[in-house]
Amino acid sequence: MTHQQLTSCFVLRCVISLLLLVLIVPAANGQKQFREEKDSIPFLRGFAVSFDLVGPITLMLSDHGEYEGALRINLHDQWFPTFEMGIGRANHENDAVTKLTYKTTAPYFRIGMDWNVMKNKHLSNRIFAGFRYAFTAFKVDITSKNLEDPVYKTKTDYGIEGMSCSQHWLEAVFGIDAQIYGPMHLGWNIRYLRRLVHKEGEIGEAWYVPGFGINGKDNFVANFNIIIDI
Amino acid sequence: MRKIVLGILTVLLMAGCVSLDCPVNNTVFCVYKLQKPDGSPDTLGVDTLKVWSPRVDGKDTVLVNRLCGSKATNFNVQVSHTQPMDLICLGLVDTLGIEWLDTIRIYKTNSPHFESVDCKPTYFHTLTEVSNTNTIIDTVIINKKEIDYDTSTAHILLRLKVRY
Repeated sequence: MTHQQLTSCFVLRCVISLLLLVLIVPAANGQKQFREEKDSIPFLRGFAVSFDLVGPITLMLSDHGEYEGALRINLHDQWFPTFEMGIGRANHENDAVTKLTYKTTAPYFRIGMDWNVMKNKHLSNRIFAGFRYAFTAFKVDITSKNLEDPVYKTKTDYGIEGMSCSQHWLEAVFGIDAQIYGPMHLGWNIRYLRRLVHKEGEIGEAWYVPGFGINGKDNFVANFNIIIDI
Repeated sequence: MRKIVLGILTVLLMAGCVSLDCPVNNTVFCVYKLQKPDGSPDTLGVDTLKVWSPRVDGKDTVLVNRLCGSKATNFNVQVSHTQPMDLICLGLVDTLGIEWLDTIRIYKTNSPHFESVDCKPTYFHTLTEVSNTNTIIDTVIINKKEIDYDTSTAHILLRLKVRY
């Protein structure tokens, strides 16, 4: 191959390279400038009602529990403002050791928000994280008939009826929700409850607080819900 | 996913545990502190003290039995649940074997107190008045009116006469 042919070949390679460069760079830039399609999902996606199963089962198997329902608004499959309402009940009769009877039945209310933390928010299954503010006001009967003084042996009726108490608390919620069939979903959640403010009764603190469970500074509870989209 | 399931199981197990939060000191005592007539601390020394109270069934109940020694500076007596007045009898036996008998009447109000259905029901009290006989007792003074689980402060200062 002569020197002239070598030069021609070099020039040809340069020209082809430049042409490829000119053609490919705009194509690459075009990929970067790709615009996402606007989300066509409406902001208000609907409502859902739910009922908890754990509370009634607890009430059947023990001396306290709750009946609870909730209304949830679906905003863009991402935010879920929630209102929950229930009735808490305790009927601990004539304790085997202390002979105490503790009775209360009262409603409780929660309001809060859940966030769908899944990457693809528009799937029918969801993972939630959220919070609640809750409140209840209730009256308690604490009684013990013929309580014997261990030293002086006198017998008296101990206790109080209609002791007024109230409590405010916050809840951190984590749960899942899976579509079973059509509008029906099943879901569970676990909650960490933290007491904010409470009003003690005349003779002491309440033992069971409707919606909160056994009283204390904090508590853990779990719910299993049947959810129906409406 | 496995970590989430393990975490949830741990939380549920913790939530499933039962705890009883009854106070350790769950008996309501009235604390008597021994003092000399001038208010300085006293001890029983070589004398022996017995405290008892009549019950509704006519029998006596011994509340403190044979308290003695230089370390005996105070004693606790259980308070009745609902009686408006507790009658406390004291018998102090000196080294000669002579028994000095006195009585203290404690007037009080009674308020039921509740901790939990797992804790025994009890009563708290407020002292309103005390009176006493003066065989060996010089004076009886209310030091703290509220009687509850707290026994760190004496409720009654029991000033005994000078003994030899």
